Amino acid sequence: MKFLCVPCDEPMKITETKGPEDGSLAVVFGCPSCRRQVAMLTNPMETQMVRSLDVKIGGQQAPHDPMAFVRSSLAVKREEVQSPSEPSSTGSGCPFTSIANSAFERQDSMGGAIWSEEAAERLNNIPSFVRSWAQKGIEQYAREKGYQRVTVEVMEEARQRFGM
Amino acid sequence: MKTYGDIPGDAGSDVLGQVNAQQERLRARMARIHAKVAVLSGKGGVGKSVIVANLAAAFAKGGLRVGVLDADINGPSLGKMLGVRGQRLAFETAGVQPALGPLGIRVLSMDLFLPSDETPVLWTGPAQGEGYLWRGAMEAATLREFLADTEWGELDLLLLDLPPGTDRIPSLLSLLPELHGIVIVTLPSRVSQLIVAKSVTVAKEIVKAPILGLVENMAAHRCAHCGAEEALFAGEDSAQMAERLAIPFLGRVPFDPVLTRCADEGTPALLSHPTAPAAQALSRIAAKIGEALRLAPALVEAEESP
Repeated sequence: MKFLCVPCDEPMKITETKGPEDGSLAVVFGCPSCRRQVAMLTNPMETQMVRSLDVKIGGQQAPHDPMAFVRSSLAVKREEVQSPSEPSSTGSGCPFTSIANSAFERQDSMGGAIWSEEAAERLNNIPSFVRSWAQKGIEQYAREKGYQRVTVEVMEEARQRFGM
Repeated sequence: MKTYGDIPGDAGSDVLGQVNAQQERLRARMARIHAKVAVLSGKGGVGKSVIVANLAAAFAKGGLRVGVLDADINGPSLGKMLGVRGQRLAFETAGVQPALGPLGIRVLSMDLFLPSDETPVLWTGPAQGEGYLWRGAMEAATLREFLADTEWGELDLLLLDLPPGTDRIPSLLSLLPELHGIVIVTLPSRVSQLIVAKSVTVAKEIVKAPILGLVENMAAHRCAHCGAEEALFAGEDSAQMAERLAIPFLGRVPFDPVLTRCADEGTPALLSHPTAPAAQALSRIAAKIGEALRLAPALVEAEESP
């Protein structure tokens, strides 16, 4: 994908990348002639698509870490598989893949959400190997929607959204 | 107004540069492997992984340095069949040290990344609901990393065990800078042969790698008591099928519970039960593949003197 400044007929250049914010990345392009700027904002699916290519917009800065993509992308994995730089089981050593993971990570740093008793019981019925992953996803969904409390209804909405 | 083609470069995203760097790492790793062979079917449940495990054992027994890549990301089974599931992967700067199976067979499988039997492959990400759009790309990137970031070392042969699905064949094999051969596995059933015929077309017309031949698995059942053979399926004769499709026929592997029992135990039957008819059939097939690849006269000798 390339951006063209129509008045100047000049290709625009990446000047900055911002984010992640809610699974979205902002890539700012500027025209070298008139200095006008535009930002490309990705939706979560687009962010995920780019992530699937294992690339970082603007270039990789960290040296190559073997199997960094798999290690940072697996939601549930063996302990020794976790990247040394990962703060949590869903974190990432790769600057770009961390964009997609960040939603989950940020929720960790905010602390746990408030769960209704019924929702917490339903959460406990989720198989243990995916429970923490599901919990983070649901809490993230609730936060995005502005819900103060995770209820069974919120869980159901999240389930439909994530296809869980 | 300029068009896409008028604008050189990528505006500074460096996506192409990174993809090129990935491919270069892959090329450098694969350059140390003499022959890369994919084993596929297109159809699931034909016993392809058992065949791969035993072919690997046959080549290793013949003195070759052998690696096995379980390319079935979502249904990995070769770790179990080669008895390496309990091993821990060692992540080093130069690459990941693969697990070591019988006779030093180097094994990499998604199974080695998962913490328990019940754990499926689940990807993190902000767009779980649209998984059908990106899961294929995640799997391809994973397979590329498995190939490029595993410290395979110098190998005579790397066997790739492909997942079911004719659509997956070109997308996964296109990752490889070169492929020396394709082995296709079928059951002698009409249903299996229907799918496998499509895989042959894909291999010939899209992948365009040499087809080493067709293997018929579960060819017949031999009674353990009286020795009588009984056909399990009523499809076309696989040798005739191979002739019709203009590909070599590598041989038939009889249905033998020893094969599956050994797979469950993590030891290839070819090593633990070398005189079993299925093990002998697999040795002969390995010898034909080795001959086609000009890999190992030792294989033929090993097969002739059990």
